[in-house]
Amino acid sequence: MFNNYQEFWNLLPMIIIGAGIIISLIIEMYSKKSEVILPWFSILLFLAAGLHALFYIGDISIVLQNMLATGGNVNIFHAIFTLGAAVVTLLSIDYLKKYGIYFREYYIILQTSVLGMMLMAAAKDILVIFLGLELMSISFYILAGMNRKRLNANEASLKYFLLGAFATGFIVYGIALIYGAAHTTSIDFITSDFNLLSGNLLFVAGVLLFLIGFSFKIAAFPFHMWVPDVYEGAPTSVAALFSTGGKAAAFSAIIATLFALFNNGGQGNFFTPFLAVISVLSMFYGSIVAIAQDNIKRMLAYSSISHAGYLIIGLAAGNYDAVAGVIFYLAAYTFMNLGAFGMVALIEGKDETNLSINSYSGLGSKKPLLAALLALLMFSLAGIPPFAGFFGKYYIFIAAIKANLTWLAILGVISSAISVYFYIRIVVLMYFKTSDTEIGFEESNNYMLAIILSVLIVVLMGVFPGSFIDLVTKFI
Amino acid sequence: MRDLIYLTVILPLLGFLINGIFGSKIKNEKLIGIIGSGVVGISFLIALGAFFETLALPLEQRQKIVSLFSWMVVGKLNVSFAFQVDQLSLVMALVVTGVGFIIHVYSIGYMHGDKGYWRFFSYMNLFIFAMMNLILADNFVLLFLGWEGVGLCSYLLIGFWYDRKFEKSTVAEASKKAFIVNRVGDFGFLLGMFLIFMTFGSLNFNEVFSRAVSFNVPAYVYGFIAIFLFIGATGKSAQIPLFVWLPDAMAGPTPVSALIHAATMVTAGVYMVARTSIIYASAPQIMMVIAIIGALTAFFAATIGIVQNDIKKVLAYSTVSQLGYMFLAMGVGAFSAGIFHVMTHAFFKALLFLAAGSVIHAMHEEQDIQKFGGLKKYMPRTHITFLIAALAISGIPPLSGFFSKDEILWFSFANSGLFLWIIGAGTAMMTAFYMFRLYILTFDGKERFGKDKHPHESPAVITIPLIVLAVLSVIGGFVGIPEVFSGEHGNQFHNWLAPIFKDADRKLAHFNLYSHSTEILLMVLSVVFAVSAIWFARYVYLKKPSIASDTAKRFKGLYNLLWNKYFVDEVYDAVIINPIVKTSKSFLWQIADNKIIDGVVNGTAKLIDIFSVNIRKLQNGVAQFYALVMVLGIVAAFFWIILSL
Amino acid sequence: MENSLLLTYLILTPFIGSFLILFFKKGQEHLIRYTALAISTIAFIISVIIYFQFDSANAGFQFIDKFHWIKGLNIHYHVGIDGMSLLLVLLTTFLTPLTLVSSWSSIESKVKEFTFFFLMLEVGMLGVFISLDLFLFYVFWEAMLIPMYFIIGIWGGKERIYAAVKFFIYTMFGSLLMLVALIWLAVYAIGPLGYFTTNLIELYAVSPQIPIDIQTWMFIAFAFSFAIKVPVFPLHTWLPDAHVQAPTAGSVILAGVLLKMGTYGLLRFNLPLFPEVSVAAAPYISILAIIGIIYGALVSMVQTDIKKLVAYSSVSHLGFVVLGIFAMTQESIQGAIIQMVNHGLSTGALFLLVGIIYERTHTREISDYGGIAKLVPVFAFALMFASLSSVGLPGLNGFIGEFLILLGSFKSPVLGSWWFTVFAASGVIFAAVYLLWMYQRVVYGEVTNPKLNGLKDMNNREIFVLFPIFIFIVWIGIYPSTFLKVSDKSTAKVVKQMYNPEKINPVQMGLIQSTK
Repeated sequence: MFNNYQEFWNLLPMIIIGAGIIISLIIEMYSKKSEVILPWFSILLFLAAGLHALFYIGDISIVLQNMLATGGNVNIFHAIFTLGAAVVTLLSIDYLKKYGIYFREYYIILQTSVLGMMLMAAAKDILVIFLGLELMSISFYILAGMNRKRLNANEASLKYFLLGAFATGFIVYGIALIYGAAHTTSIDFITSDFNLLSGNLLFVAGVLLFLIGFSFKIAAFPFHMWVPDVYEGAPTSVAALFSTGGKAAAFSAIIATLFALFNNGGQGNFFTPFLAVISVLSMFYGSIVAIAQDNIKRMLAYSSISHAGYLIIGLAAGNYDAVAGVIFYLAAYTFMNLGAFGMVALIEGKDETNLSINSYSGLGSKKPLLAALLALLMFSLAGIPPFAGFFGKYYIFIAAIKANLTWLAILGVISSAISVYFYIRIVVLMYFKTSDTEIGFEESNNYMLAIILSVLIVVLMGVFPGSFIDLVTKFI
Repeated sequence: MRDLIYLTVILPLLGFLINGIFGSKIKNEKLIGIIGSGVVGISFLIALGAFFETLALPLEQRQKIVSLFSWMVVGKLNVSFAFQVDQLSLVMALVVTGVGFIIHVYSIGYMHGDKGYWRFFSYMNLFIFAMMNLILADNFVLLFLGWEGVGLCSYLLIGFWYDRKFEKSTVAEASKKAFIVNRVGDFGFLLGMFLIFMTFGSLNFNEVFSRAVSFNVPAYVYGFIAIFLFIGATGKSAQIPLFVWLPDAMAGPTPVSALIHAATMVTAGVYMVARTSIIYASAPQIMMVIAIIGALTAFFAATIGIVQNDIKKVLAYSTVSQLGYMFLAMGVGAFSAGIFHVMTHAFFKALLFLAAGSVIHAMHEEQDIQKFGGLKKYMPRTHITFLIAALAISGIPPLSGFFSKDEILWFSFANSGLFLWIIGAGTAMMTAFYMFRLYILTFDGKERFGKDKHPHESPAVITIPLIVLAVLSVIGGFVGIPEVFSGEHGNQFHNWLAPIFKDADRKLAHFNLYSHSTEILLMVLSVVFAVSAIWFARYVYLKKPSIASDTAKRFKGLYNLLWNKYFVDEVYDAVIINPIVKTSKSFLWQIADNKIIDGVVNGTAKLIDIFSVNIRKLQNGVAQFYALVMVLGIVAAFFWIILSL
Repeated sequence: MENSLLLTYLILTPFIGSFLILFFKKGQEHLIRYTALAISTIAFIISVIIYFQFDSANAGFQFIDKFHWIKGLNIHYHVGIDGMSLLLVLLTTFLTPLTLVSSWSSIESKVKEFTFFFLMLEVGMLGVFISLDLFLFYVFWEAMLIPMYFIIGIWGGKERIYAAVKFFIYTMFGSLLMLVALIWLAVYAIGPLGYFTTNLIELYAVSPQIPIDIQTWMFIAFAFSFAIKVPVFPLHTWLPDAHVQAPTAGSVILAGVLLKMGTYGLLRFNLPLFPEVSVAAAPYISILAIIGIIYGALVSMVQTDIKKLVAYSSVSHLGFVVLGIFAMTQESIQGAIIQMVNHGLSTGALFLLVGIIYERTHTREISDYGGIAKLVPVFAFALMFASLSSVGLPGLNGFIGEFLILLGSFKSPVLGSWWFTVFAASGVIFAAVYLLWMYQRVVYGEVTNPKLNGLKDMNNREIFVLFPIFIFIVWIGIYPSTFLKVSDKSTAKVVKQMYNPEKINPVQMGLIQSTK
């Protein structure tokens, strides 16, 4: 199967997770206290895979008969997925306890979903992308409904499944059209004669459908409708994964497939108008509607929609800076959001109390550290320097302006000015308002570890983005 | 001594600081008073020394500039704290420090027992400091420093009794009015400076004036400069239209009225015009404006003075009127005559105020002359000195007032004809009339004050200054005896100041068409006017008091008009002040700012909010609808594709 | 002087200091206060050292430190000062310790957090004034919002939340447009330079080559964000709210330094980066500035709340500064710079005094006062002094600034008309009106409000806070050369970039036909 030891070595991250899934199954079957072992075991897997991906980022290769790529951006994505998943797992431990849902399969399904993401990022063949996508999506559907006892969890899961399947349909059809036009599913072959194909209606339609399908996954307007309901219904830890890993994976797939579009001199591409439009709509829809939300999970859902908008600016710009920018943004966004969701998961009381943003009032004096961390995350999400969120935007805007999309950048900043309002509203509540009602929740080291880790990354990426950027730019 | 001239500025400042900082600790009034007046006295001696030193020097060496340190050096602008000692500034310096010293001494007695004693003297010294800057400055900016500085001191001293009421409103109101009206003038002065700087590229007197001679500047520029500066002068020297603050300034203690609002500060405008004579000489039409405004001010103020009953008010309007005289002199190009009148006026007007103060003291702060009468037997010294001053201001020879005033009348006739002379002479007549009305109602006739009042002569510390000033009012005029009498020496005062005004005079090139006999004739006429006015006053207010009241009744309208000072204050309030305040409050602030501008800002936020609330309704939780939206999206996308391929 | 590091030490001092503060325990308020004072004083000393080592004969940037920050995008930690920034740096480091001391009695709760934010604020302000890299500048510019936002929001008055949020979003909005503009500028600079950079000094060289219409857009974006900060009419409405709601210390820094960041930005970025556009825009912006002068004065005249009155007076004063900058003569720009310092001192002093009296009476309504001169003579004097300095009385600092600005704008060739100055100068009258009227109603007259009886006069700490400010008020008024000479060369350089200074001699102004 492997031509040589090197291929095996390069693929190790995915192999670790794959093997991990099997081992986890065994543990799950034979161990009495597997719910204690499994989370830490999967964290171990994720860390192992993630660190391997980071350390051997240089080993660029195409393996398994042009099916998978390794090294470079692929590894960066792998690192984002796995480390993100590690944080999610860390969050889940106490969250599941809180809700009394000790389903051990939770962690296994988590692993499968991550494996799916990794496949998408690494894919060199459209079919592999589809494989990864399905692996991820189906795991997501299950995770969304993980809290079986709760009605709205089931509802969320079902909605997600229905609409997700709907979207997948388009992707499949898109792939079919592309194959029909290009007579191949290998991304390299498609890109090599892309310019021929781009005149071909079938092909363009295929790519468009493909894009639309993924727009669903990255929660871009108008394919975002599922997002608020699902985020709200699904367990918070899972929602954290959807909004970070899921988004990142979808973007990785788009970048992997449409990379060719980015090779034509950074002057945008055929799909620029389409992308620009949905990016503007997503940004504004997200930031405007978020203002009216009083459930923090829904608020974060809308915020994730508008962030999708900013990321799509990058796709629309379609040049090297855009790719680097998008990747940076995704990494930053992943950890900002994980931190925020982590905070929600922590503060969320048993059976969905403390989810209204008003329950955060007075947190500043009650729990100074938590409040400070959350405030910092909010400022970062709002894109205020010197935090990672700002730098991501900065990078994306550079890309946009280089691609003569200054107007898009301007709309971008206007929308982020609007979004500032609902982000700092949390800060207002925490620091400037006081509440007499005591909010009951027990802190735990797992949560704190997860949150502090993500905040740390956010700050580091904000203040010293240099090294990460070098990493990203080196391999484009 | 000339090199030490800066001490005449520094010493008062020192006095101000000492009394200002430690005054509240020093319990001993005497000490405070001695410090306060001492510094001014020394300044006077220095000025005197400088004067004689200059007198000894040949003409071309008489100007000297004593520079301390540079103030502003930016781009072309380069001004320093530098003092210019020359004939003009010396005259002014002598008047200011001399009269100032006398008034300080007087204040030792007058302010006795006031809880703000130390404050008073520190302010007074600060005033002298500012005034000396004004007259010794060698550049416009330093002059302006003094100019605003005296304004400040006048503000502080008018408002000295800040918790008292004054007429309809309060003392504080009066002081604020003075400062702000002056500011209006300063606004003009500033513009004048800017235009000068733009035109001549400098603000130092010597450079500007020499360039004014050498540069070929169009007349209209001079016109603008002149008018701008003159606006400043009207503010400081209470000319139409900005004279309204001076009568209210009487809210301050009487020595303040004497020093600031009679003898010195209010003449600053005249000094400034004289200083910049060359510029005015280059703008003849503006000089005409000045002459007319001066004459009108003199006239109207005098008419108001006739009916007022507050002893200080009468003197205040008489001051305005006399200042009008001085500007009339400036306007007709009789610069040295104007300065001459500044000097003599300083003597007798200060004397009048101080004497009035002494009376007010004796009558326990009563100021209504209708409640005086027959005081001459209670306070003889005050009475005599007041009488002398009254004669002097009425222009009775050989008192100082006669020479200065007559010279002005003569030049206004010689340089610009009969009209101005008539106004001037008429004013002179009225002056004599109301002065003696004042004198008679106060010192002569029967006593009209209640038994509770026990008038008494004031102590020596008050009367000696009166006597000194009286002497000056008598002899002060002899330095400027017109050549009609003095013959070939000519007018000493003229000759002394001639170098300052030579450029201006050359530009104006007045040559006298009239013979000495005309001059003498006019003199006699004016004296006759004055005497008859005095006699008339005696007749009306001593012999037949009924006449006054009857006329007042018969010409009710006119009388009210004069009594209410032509309603100028009311008009200003109605036309300028109230509209501004009202619009600012009810439109600019409450509507423009809060409603419109801020409305737009908050409105945007509101708008977004409304959007948000409504759009979120799309999120109705129905999966089918969600799917529908997706489909619509796809359809739209395909339309786009089909259109764009 | 490559990498003298002095500026880096300067900015590190409060930065490290603010984190030191976090280590203190709850009960150690005094310790916290004194430490903060010590830290900010060290910063001040460093800046004074910088002043003495500064070479005022050199028009360029000095004390430059330059290190790689983000290699990938060629962004440097690149700081340095010239005459224009030095004065503002001094102002910042001078006001911060005084303001901290002033807050000792007013800030009782959360002293630790307050001090932390305050020192962070100083970091931000200093950073803005010394950054020579647009990206670095922007980071400081934005980051500085956070502490101010907290200071208003946590320690502010009744309407503090509204004020804080308004302040935050309003300024944020402006600066985001600037962000786009600065990226745009950097992207355009790739053409001539061949690489992407946000290095201000390099951009100075190339930005005038950008097509004029695009320059115009960039100019507008920059100017807009700075105009909000200044604030230029009609973008000023966040200011009264913020000023009134902020705690005294906040208002002082807000008025004293933050507003200057706007005018500084105009001077540092708009003029040199887009000279042509600036000259073209000068009349329009000057008109706004003049509206601001008069409008601000009139509105402040009718305020019933002392603090609001002072707040609106800032609008008027800053109008002078903007006019001075866009008159673009050396006199006016020098005046503008010195006026920035003046406004910091006199308005800062006014806010301090309002705070002092507010602490005692807990009312800012003018009508609640009257006749307090008898009760608190020292306060009365101090208020008079500060007001006079703000009125622009010759001999005090305010006059120097206003005089130079008006003098310069009067002969400004880019404005080319007296009328600007004529209207602007009327502000001199209004300033006297609103301040003296306020003074009269607060201090003069008889005590009518019984609550005022037993009012305590200023204590030594409060005097200690105001005394240094008053020293400088007189110093600048009498011997401004100390400060003028510092910025002389730099401003001359700016003016040269704008137009050929030969234009300004009156011959070409059509005033004098010929000189004999």
